[in-house]
Amino acid sequence: MSFNAGKFNPSEWSAHVPSAPTDDRPEEVKAEMEFGKLTSQKWLATAKYDAKKSFKAPIADDPPYFVVIMTYLNYLVLILIGHIRDYFGMFFTPQHFTAMLSKNGYPPWYASFESFYPRRLKARMDDCFARPIHGVPGRYTACFNRISHDYNKHFLYDGTSTECLNLSSYNYLGFAQSVGKCTDDSVAAVEERGTSAGGPTDVSGHADLLRNTEKILAKFVGKDDSLIFSMGYGTNAHFFTSVLNSKCLVISDSLNHSSARFGIRLSGAAVKVFPHNDMVALERILRESISQGQAKTHRPWKKILICSEGLYSMEGEYCDLPALVSLKEKYHASLFIDEAHSIGALGEHGRGICEYFGISASRVDIMMGTLTKSFGAAGGYIAADQWIIDRLRVDFSTNCYGEAPPPAVLQQINTSLRIIDGQLNGDEGKERLQRIAFNSRYLRLGLKRLGFIVYGNDDAPVIPMLVYTPAKMPAASRMFLKYGVAVVIVGYPATPLISSRIRFCVSAALTKEDIDRILAISNIVGDKMCLKFGSGMAGGEKHPGDWKKGIHPRWSLEEVLAKTPEDCRKEMY
Amino acid sequence: MDTEPRETPQFIASLAAILAELWYALLELFLKVPGGALVLDYIRASHKNDPWRTLLEILLALVAIRYFLASKYSQDEKDKVELSEREVDELIADWEPEPIVPPLRRDERWQLDSIPLINGAVASVHVSVEDPKSGEISDNVLNLASKDYLSMSSNEVVKENSIKEIRAAGVGACGPPNFYGTQDVHVRVCEDLARFLGAEEGIIYGQDYCTPTSVLPCFLKRGDIVIVDGGVSLALQKAALISRSDVEWFNHNDLDHLEEILENLEEDLADGPLNRRFIVTEGLFENFGDSPDLKRLVEIKNHYKFRLVLDETNSVGTLGPNGRGLPEACGISRDEIEITIGSMAQALGSSGGYCVGCEDMIYHQILSSNAYVFSASLPPYCAVAASTSIHLLEDSQEEGKINPYLRPLVENSKHLHQLFRDSKPLRNLVVVRSADYSPVVHIRLNPDLRKSLGLPEGYGGPGSSILNAVKKGHEDLYFDSLYNTESYILQQVIDQCLKKKVLITRTKRVLHQELLPVVPELILHCNAKFTKAELDHVYKVVEQSLVSTFGDITKEDVAKYTSVLNN
Ligand SMILES: Cc1ncc(COP(=O)(O)O)c(C=O)c1O
Repeated sequence: MSFNAGKFNPSEWSAHVPSAPTDDRPEEVKAEMEFGKLTSQKWLATAKYDAKKSFKAPIADDPPYFVVIMTYLNYLVLILIGHIRDYFGMFFTPQHFTAMLSKNGYPPWYASFESFYPRRLKARMDDCFARPIHGVPGRYTACFNRISHDYNKHFLYDGTSTECLNLSSYNYLGFAQSVGKCTDDSVAAVEERGTSAGGPTDVSGHADLLRNTEKILAKFVGKDDSLIFSMGYGTNAHFFTSVLNSKCLVISDSLNHSSARFGIRLSGAAVKVFPHNDMVALERILRESISQGQAKTHRPWKKILICSEGLYSMEGEYCDLPALVSLKEKYHASLFIDEAHSIGALGEHGRGICEYFGISASRVDIMMGTLTKSFGAAGGYIAADQWIIDRLRVDFSTNCYGEAPPPAVLQQINTSLRIIDGQLNGDEGKERLQRIAFNSRYLRLGLKRLGFIVYGNDDAPVIPMLVYTPAKMPAASRMFLKYGVAVVIVGYPATPLISSRIRFCVSAALTKEDIDRILAISNIVGDKMCLKFGSGMAGGEKHPGDWKKGIHPRWSLEEVLAKTPEDCRKEMY
Repeated sequence: MDTEPRETPQFIASLAAILAELWYALLELFLKVPGGALVLDYIRASHKNDPWRTLLEILLALVAIRYFLASKYSQDEKDKVELSEREVDELIADWEPEPIVPPLRRDERWQLDSIPLINGAVASVHVSVEDPKSGEISDNVLNLASKDYLSMSSNEVVKENSIKEIRAAGVGACGPPNFYGTQDVHVRVCEDLARFLGAEEGIIYGQDYCTPTSVLPCFLKRGDIVIVDGGVSLALQKAALISRSDVEWFNHNDLDHLEEILENLEEDLADGPLNRRFIVTEGLFENFGDSPDLKRLVEIKNHYKFRLVLDETNSVGTLGPNGRGLPEACGISRDEIEITIGSMAQALGSSGGYCVGCEDMIYHQILSSNAYVFSASLPPYCAVAASTSIHLLEDSQEEGKINPYLRPLVENSKHLHQLFRDSKPLRNLVVVRSADYSPVVHIRLNPDLRKSLGLPEGYGGPGSSILNAVKKGHEDLYFDSLYNTESYILQQVIDQCLKKKVLITRTKRVLHQELLPVVPELILHCNAKFTKAELDHVYKVVEQSLVSTFGDITKEDVAKYTSVLNN
């Protein structure tokens, strides 16, 4: 539904971002918009890893050459025109460049090259970013309608919004809800405990709710104890300083999240980067680092920390945990896993990457994760053995200088964890887990069969669909939006220059019929924009062995919808 | 005989022809590369004008290529030791890493037990505290450990609006601000913050402690200059450090020293490139409870054309007639402060951090501030809570009067300070470090007493054994026994107060992360909701505990405390 649709009165367009209209629909309707009811018991699956097979990195399909060339050309044109516009613009219309030009003897706020990419490339598709929403970012999300008359410099709003099917929010288990047990508990937490945590945990106090939630969380991930912070980014940003110094080495996956990279930089430790998921390179670096020691002095490293993510949010790929664990044990290094996207979303019971691979959590030294993605809350945690947590509790700078998580957020984590674990609401947690597993598998296989190039592992709830050419990013995003689907587009610099993509974040809140609809819309978008380049090597062929014969998977939508819901639950490719 | 000389030119000619053909093939290939034609045209044109320049540019290109290749086989590669496979295996078998963190020492364990265990609301003025050993619960404890100075966290309107928002949008925002994570209420709170503080625009962050380390690096890069007050909080220290710009420190609140530094820099600056220049200070110092002379500071920074970064984490909501921070208190326009950083988790009774300033500055953060771009938005209800607090303050504001929300806080802060300052029994025992208007009372041991007890002037800081240990990576030396003991004795005071149902706290610092010297302090946070009688009671209780702990303390007692910790 659209709020106030039809109003469409141009005189009412305003630069002011409107406030949420009142939503007086009955609670059942709202609940259904936030979390769709399961339509059939058939649409459930369990995400399990077959330990007998060794871990295979997912195959990344390559686009045809002309796509690559067109992509580079595209960037070249954009960059050239950008520079020309900068050159003449600063000369003729300096009023648009106030931040980049010195004034009255003050240096510019930032250099023009520092902001070249956002101004000259991203600004062209700014309408696809930061679109304000209102209400619950659940199964649907209400996006404000807006237009721009000056190439995205300013936006005008008319106060109306459109509810779009939501594939953009990190809401893996569908806990973004305004009705239900979690919300009731969180509301009660505000009533009883107020809105603020009053200050840092070590100074203002370790609340019973925080203690209790830390224990539940630790038990859930399989560790002795944990620390919870009010921001996931901040957890990574300040963790490494607490454990490393300049005589330590971090070996970090090349695709690690910016927060971990920032944290490592802040710690002053030496860093070596291994190519994403390349375990051979990792072993080589480990052997070399241990045998060569520190640079120049050749003294042995004090500590070596391997740093990886459970599920990579731009690729939809897991880390190769079995290999990571065996390497770290073989070389006596420590292992840090960021479970931001895998906790709650992977494993039969949602316990993350360790459970998925059937590896005991005790073999990972530091388990970090965020509470923003699967639990409908916010914040981050560090879980580890008791002696590590004891040290960190007094020495982690956020605990002494930064705010503790506020009560309602903690309560949301607490209640949702108990639901996932089956302590509350019976089988609700199990259903959510099985729905996200099914939805992820169905959408991924469906897209592959339609002919798209899709990255990632089958069970991963993040599904990147490659579009390559930068111009197709905003075009696709706008088209999806026109059909009522909110998707996220990511391009350079968050991805390699060439591989711009649309990222679908699947949620347990979606029904099978929603996925059908997304497939149908993707099919139209894909045909219109020429996005179907899949060769079949990554799966999706009609008959096994097709791609070797050069037959590409191009199923019709009807065929996909008819067969994929069943097929996706089996290991096919 | 005459054939030979004829043949040579022919051979050369054919070679030249082949070379020319090759050259053209190359050129053609180059032309096919997108942009190649442009480059060629450029070279041709420049060659025509100045052939020497072509040579120079080719040489430059060669140097650049060499430099790039060299940096790949960096230092590491060069000073690598040749090792056989067997030697490598042996070295690997021999390598013994340190534990991931040093386990808590026996004499540090008390620190863990000294974290107050609160049951129920943490931020309110009366709390229940659980005893970590016996599990006994002590109700109705007066809470001077919370930074919720205006009690906004338990304000009925703030709570009601927050609940409404949870009922409308759930708890989490579930996405970064640039990817469908911006809700209408986030936009509102940015507007409210900017309007309330008198700035053009605002931006919010998920956590206050992450804000400075994310904001400053947006505007400070290598080669830029930042001059920082030598008493700033850890977050600002780290922010200055991580930006990799040139950092200079001036003595805490010593503006003469600041001018001296600027004077010395002026010549260098006049000649050098126009790099970015900032002065960083706090509105109300986290570490001292005092403020800089803002009027003079603004004059200085304008004179030298530096920009000012003011961290108002502690001062917004507590200073100025309406809580608009230090500028309001000093009668200075917010426009004079280029970057203001603050917290919504303290006086505003919510959660998260913010930055306000001019449009250009905020816009750049939207694109390039790490903690904004790479993190989920603040939960919407937290934004609503902060907005509500701001509206409450604004709506009750009256021209020429102190805001009714702030008045009790201002009075209480003054009263509590006076009690300690005028105290006879405490005169020789402690000094009050904070200014009377500060809602946080900083109490440290009298310097004479500290000297007589053999305690140093400060712990850590430049040149200290701890920072040397950090440099060398000796984690077992991160520990300072005297610091530990002094903190422990202060904790005895806190424990005694707690027995009498008064919860106060002390500075909790991570010594090895602090770049500046630290002195342990007792900390009392005032609150607008305390009555005079309660504060008198607090004072009495703290006074008794201080007197009984420090009344006739000797050097031997300090040693005794240390040995207690080791048993
Ligand atoms: C791997 C990883 N770590 C940390 C974070 C930061 O978490 P938060 O959004 O809770 O700050 C993210 C979020 O995008 C992430 O993807």
